[in-house]
Amino acid sequence: MSTETLRYQDVNVGDTLPELPIPLTSSLIVAGAVASQDYTPVHHDKEAAEAAGMQDVFMNILTTNGLVSRFVTDWAGIDARITGVSIKLGTPNLPGDTMTLTGAVAEKDETGNAVTVEVTGKNAWGNHVTGAVKLTLPAGD
Amino acid sequence: MPTTLKDEAAIVGIGETEYSKNSGRSELALAAEACRAAIADAGLTPADIDGMTTFTMDNTDEIEVARAVGVGDLTFFSRTPHGGGAAIGVMHQAVMAVATGSAKAVVVYRALNGRSGARYSEGVSGGPTTSDLIHWSWYMPSGLMTPASWVAMVTQRYMHETGCTSEDLAEVCIAQREHAIKNPRAFFHGKPLTLEEHQAARHIVEPLRLYDCCQETDGGAACVVVSPEMARDLPNPPALIRAVAQGAGAHQESMTSFYRPTMTDLPEVDLSARQCWEISGLTADDIDAAVIYDAFSSIVLWQLESYGFCKKGEAADFIRDGALRLGGRLPTNTHGGQLSEAYVHGMNGVNEGVRLIRGTSTSQPAKNEHVLVTAGVGVPTSGMILGQA
Amino acid sequence: MAISGTEREEFEKQLEAYVGIDIGLEDQGRDPVNAAMVRHWCEAMGDGCGAYTDPVQAAASVHGELVAPPTMLQAWILGGVSMASGESDPRDKQKELHRLFDSKGFTGVVATNTEQEYTRYLKMGDEICAKTVIESISEQKATGLGIGYFINTRTTFRDQNDEEVGWLTFRVLKFEIAEASASSSDESSVTPSRPQRLKPALGHDNAWWWDCVEKDELAIQRCSSCHALRHPPRPMCGECQASDWDFVFSTGQGTIYSFVVIRHPEVPGYTYPLVVAVVELEEGTRFVGNVLDIDPAEVEVGMSVQASIELVDDEMKLPVFRRAQ
Ligand SMILES: [Zn+2]
Repeated sequence: MSTETLRYQDVNVGDTLPELPIPLTSSLIVAGAVASQDYTPVHHDKEAAEAAGMQDVFMNILTTNGLVSRFVTDWAGIDARITGVSIKLGTPNLPGDTMTLTGAVAEKDETGNAVTVEVTGKNAWGNHVTGAVKLTLPAGD
Repeated sequence: MPTTLKDEAAIVGIGETEYSKNSGRSELALAAEACRAAIADAGLTPADIDGMTTFTMDNTDEIEVARAVGVGDLTFFSRTPHGGGAAIGVMHQAVMAVATGSAKAVVVYRALNGRSGARYSEGVSGGPTTSDLIHWSWYMPSGLMTPASWVAMVTQRYMHETGCTSEDLAEVCIAQREHAIKNPRAFFHGKPLTLEEHQAARHIVEPLRLYDCCQETDGGAACVVVSPEMARDLPNPPALIRAVAQGAGAHQESMTSFYRPTMTDLPEVDLSARQCWEISGLTADDIDAAVIYDAFSSIVLWQLESYGFCKKGEAADFIRDGALRLGGRLPTNTHGGQLSEAYVHGMNGVNEGVRLIRGTSTSQPAKNEHVLVTAGVGVPTSGMILGQA
Repeated sequence: MAISGTEREEFEKQLEAYVGIDIGLEDQGRDPVNAAMVRHWCEAMGDGCGAYTDPVQAAASVHGELVAPPTMLQAWILGGVSMASGESDPRDKQKELHRLFDSKGFTGVVATNTEQEYTRYLKMGDEICAKTVIESISEQKATGLGIGYFINTRTTFRDQNDEEVGWLTFRVLKFEIAEASASSSDESSVTPSRPQRLKPALGHDNAWWWDCVEKDELAIQRCSSCHALRHPPRPMCGECQASDWDFVFSTGQGTIYSFVVIRHPEVPGYTYPLVVAVVELEEGTRFVGNVLDIDPAEVEVGMSVQASIELVDDEMKLPVFRRAQ
């Protein structure tokens, strides 16, 4: 996490974000579910997850979104404002696996200093999440 | 009564379904529709058909197709193995049946939901422990499990030995795309391809890029084979089969060729070619146009060499000035081929060969006395020469 | 089998009645936006952004004060522990719609997409409420999971001044679980947490070779009669037709005869781009294996490589190659 914020002029289409591997543990999955107030049993109760055909508890969507947003602000800094997220969900995030987040700047729009970052979160089974995060960056000094 | 398979049979009818990415119906339905169309094109009725043949890889049983189409008694039925290598092997079966009197009128068919159903690009994985699966087991653990990966391995070696480049492969793709642009059946109808687009496309398995690989298609194609005598009484000009042959070579493997003394030698294609010339009494110089099996762009080059259109290792030079295009030395895959029309395991190529002889291709060369049609490479294979009656 | 004919027509008519309606519940956030819940969220996500948790950094930033992470939006209105019971408010039209799908055999549910927009960042003390509308229900679709319908909902979030602060949409598939997967409750049908590579099929002619790999040896079959080496193993010598054989161990030294770089498709259990080479071993036979720890652009025909036998996943040993020193 840098305390420096990227300026709109600093980023170019094609710039890549530092890769972020997220080790997937039961603790993370349950903590994410609880922090998002999502007590749907499949996210904290292994038996309920098994009844739903999964091997173990699996990550809820809010946690995925939270990790994606962290991935982008780790790179962009405190003065970035996230304005939107658009996400397609794929293979589940299960304990024991690792999700690696990668991203690249896909678009820049001078009106409002808007930047679109394309993000992929991939685990051993394939893409857990693919999508785009829209944010605005401050103009340069 | 020893018989060589010269002028013993003719193709008198061709038929196919539309080619798509999602047929929305069963492979049986596709096979039945293609057969019905081929029988009608031949000017025959299902009751006239007494032989049927297809690929071992076809999922639809002959008798199911026969029942669906209304074909009655069958005195000949058979199957040919080895995927695309069977594309002319099935013709070989049909010609033998007609030549020996085992059948009078044989329908040859192939139908698959190759995109919406099981996709070959997804590769081999499991199944019963056959010698075939033991073979793939030398590669699956290392991740080499798709046709693209096996052919890429041979392509890399070929490029190393001959200096052939990805741009040379692109010429195969672009020449065929020029043909497909004019063919309404083709997936790439109306969609040109430039060298830049070819080179910018992602790699599937290096050195093969996206457009070097054939499509995955839902569709069926069929044709009807009868004796030359019977053909005289039927409405369409027959495509006389001047020669047809199969070949499996020394150290033959299925798709891989990895352990052959020279990986890039294709003795089975050489063998099919040698027989085609011997049986027909023709040479490469007599061939006006060709349908050359093109699951991948590189295999077109190797077959040009095996059939003697150029010397070994010189195919890239042969095609560089547009030999495969209309007006070139050997207009090839005038339907767009499996790269640009559809992948129907070579059966759509057989139909295009017939159209070339009839003079009805959407990219019709002026001269069309003799047409070469070939089958898959790197597997036991086959080839035939079509001529005007 | 999915419903068809008039039953399907009637069902789809029933569905139409749900399109465009408010699900009937106004979700009022149970707590104002507060620092404790934000801190808990940031700890879970490992999010160290000072705008959320450090008043000094937040004050100096474009946000001017502490704000909540924007992707936390929905967390302010979710039900918490009460959700664990699975019971729902009888007035909830969305649940009612899901039960209607269940009754027709579309019992599977999976979220496929979400889109969110944030009008402004939430500040401490904001009081959030939300309203959800069923925007659309798709036609019947054949999907990889089975036949089903996509339901699109839109939730709009407002603050204490009735001003919109953001919205989100969800696309959910209600589908008929394929019979094969619904009926199989055995262990093997459960998704393991880590995919493994495809294992070889073992038979009379090759199992001994894989046994050697387990013992860290790269074996080459040898004809007992004419001593010709051969790989892959087969039951008879093609040179002299003898059936007797033994084997030698390779040094693992060799040169790359040809190679590929696999990029597509990506099969679970393997790491891409994946380099696979046909290696000519110094004993004279060839062997196919992965080349590790090398930039794919540096691999060349003729490169010297050395084999070693290693675990390639949790379960399987395989000979792999690296550039020779
Ligand atoms: Zn021997």
